[in-house]
Amino acid sequence: MRSSAVSLALGYTALGITALVLFAAPLWYAWQVTIREGRVEILQADAQRLTDVFRREGAVGLKSFIDVRVGMQIAGERILLLTDASMLPLAGNLSKWPTTVPISPGNYSIQVEVGNHGAQPALVHVAKLGDDNLLVGRYNTIFAPLQSRFWYGLTAAIAVLSIAGLLVGLITRRALMSRINSIQQTVSAIVHGDLKHRLPTHLNDDELNTLARTINGMLEQIELLVHGVRNVSNSIAHDLRTPLAELRSRLEELALIRPPPEQTYAEIDGAVADVDRVIRIFDALLRLAEIDAGMRRSGFVALDIADLVANAVEFYAPAAELRNINLVFRAQGAVSASGDPVLLAQALSNLIDNALKYAPANGRIELAVLRRGEATAEVSVADNGPGIADSEKSKVVERFYRGDASRGTPGVGLGLSLVQAVAKLHGGSLSLSNQNPGLRVAFVIPLDAPSATALTTP
Amino acid sequence: MKILLVEDNQRVSQFVIKGLQESGHTADHAGNGRDGMFLAASEPYDVIIMDRMLPGDIDGLAIIEVLRKAGKRTPILILSALAEVDDRIRGLRSGGDDYLTKPFAFGELLARLDALHRRAQAINPETPLIVGDLALDPLTRKVTRGTRPIALQPREFKLLEYLMRHAGQVVTRTMLLENVWDYHFDPQTNVVDVHISKLRQKIDAEFERPLLRTVRNAGYMVTAGE
Repeated sequence: MRSSAVSLALGYTALGITALVLFAAPLWYAWQVTIREGRVEILQADAQRLTDVFRREGAVGLKSFIDVRVGMQIAGERILLLTDASMLPLAGNLSKWPTTVPISPGNYSIQVEVGNHGAQPALVHVAKLGDDNLLVGRYNTIFAPLQSRFWYGLTAAIAVLSIAGLLVGLITRRALMSRINSIQQTVSAIVHGDLKHRLPTHLNDDELNTLARTINGMLEQIELLVHGVRNVSNSIAHDLRTPLAELRSRLEELALIRPPPEQTYAEIDGAVADVDRVIRIFDALLRLAEIDAGMRRSGFVALDIADLVANAVEFYAPAAELRNINLVFRAQGAVSASGDPVLLAQALSNLIDNALKYAPANGRIELAVLRRGEATAEVSVADNGPGIADSEKSKVVERFYRGDASRGTPGVGLGLSLVQAVAKLHGGSLSLSNQNPGLRVAFVIPLDAPSATALTTP
Repeated sequence: MKILLVEDNQRVSQFVIKGLQESGHTADHAGNGRDGMFLAASEPYDVIIMDRMLPGDIDGLAIIEVLRKAGKRTPILILSALAEVDDRIRGLRSGGDDYLTKPFAFGELLARLDALHRRAQAINPETPLIVGDLALDPLTRKVTRGTRPIALQPREFKLLEYLMRHAGQVVTRTMLLENVWDYHFDPQTNVVDVHISKLRQKIDAEFERPLLRTVRNAGYMVTAGE
């Protein structure tokens, strides 16, 4: 049963038992020492009293004194023995000198055979009285119940601890296993291709739940990406097939009909234009992939966004003029940021290009760079064209998506995707809003290098 | 011009060599890095076209680096299928003078080769440029046609200056985008054409003889000739 929960519970149990033993052992030792010291004192006092009797009244007097005392004894917990020099008992309640006790003064812990009770632990004190030997002692039996209670208590505590530990371990393991099993099932469903599944989560905030939430977040992102990739490959298939099909039929027709040279050259020019269209789509896709990979940060330099916008506006001004569109830029001073000038210029170009496509003749396109708080700037392009329906807002940034209004206009449907990718690369975001009439596209980018000279707009 | 093409793809080589010869240039071809390195180091070329990825152990960038270290100043145009901005930067850093990605239009290649060749002849950037009766002074920033002064916006001035520096040569839209606006991408609409027609309004409209011409399927050219 290799289980982290059980191992953990067993580990804690072992720790508990160790702590218990560490607590009980010194207690036991101190207890034993205290008892022994107290008893030794008592025995010494006993021996002293008997020695006094021996001094006053001699061996005979002591013998009768001992006899009297032995006769008086009720509990029989005391041991008294007086022997002569040849170890023959003179008086006392032991029939002979215990073999385990040496015949020299001192204190000894021994086992004494008492009738049919078997051996009993006792502490004895030996003293020399002239040629005679005196042995006084007491049985330890009065402490036996206390001692056994101590031992029982300790054993019971250890047993309870072990069983509880094992039980807790098993229960935790069961609970863990059931949750892990559900995670496993979800994950294997995902592995088999169903990305819709999510790990079960609960309201509480335990470790597994936090992990499950993190993994769910990751799955969300993966699903989004996979979905995106699927969409893109479908769209690539569609959007590249169309010009390729045109190209193919054009060339095949040429080979079949063999028209006069003039017409043939015109058809070849058309074929080259078809190929150029395919190349443009490829370029746009590669650029997007490059940005998505996040590799383009190498192109980041310190730049002035307002200057970048001013240049783009200047670049598009003649084209706007041609259509009588009023292209205006409300500049409010330099806005320094760190970014990729090539990509930002391309994003701006895409936005202005879009606006030019949708703004009506004699219309108006307004660009603005506004500081939003201390750390961000918003670049916006607003036109007074038809705008887009709310339902289309999330779709227009999808790759290859082309709104109904854009059918028949040049473009491959990657413009806003690129703007969004560029904004993301710069740590910002893209937002679309209708301003009745017209569409306002804004991207917010963080100014990670706010310069002291930058104008702070009130 | 005497041009060296270092390119392993047979078809592309054939197409480029034939095109160059038809345009009146002499072209040599090397199919691998070793031959390319040998020819580039030993023969005097006006321009070298270098593919980046070549068979064998020497790639295009390595050849360029070796040539530059050896003191060869021949203008080099890098031709590559690696289209990422970083690849481009790496190519130019290794010593290349221009970078064209495959697939490309032959007109674009030819125009860029001309521009490189012209640049190598190092015309003093302060010398007034004169095409026919059109004159542009880079120092005083004054433009005149005949005796009449022409007022140009700063960007229009830059556009005309670039065109006049390449007078008699085709200049493509991409070249204008890169050199006049520093835009390294392809705007979807024909914005460059609009700028050109605006410029044309100013320098050609009231004169009998147009100097700024559109070259079909290629780009533009400023020339006083026929």
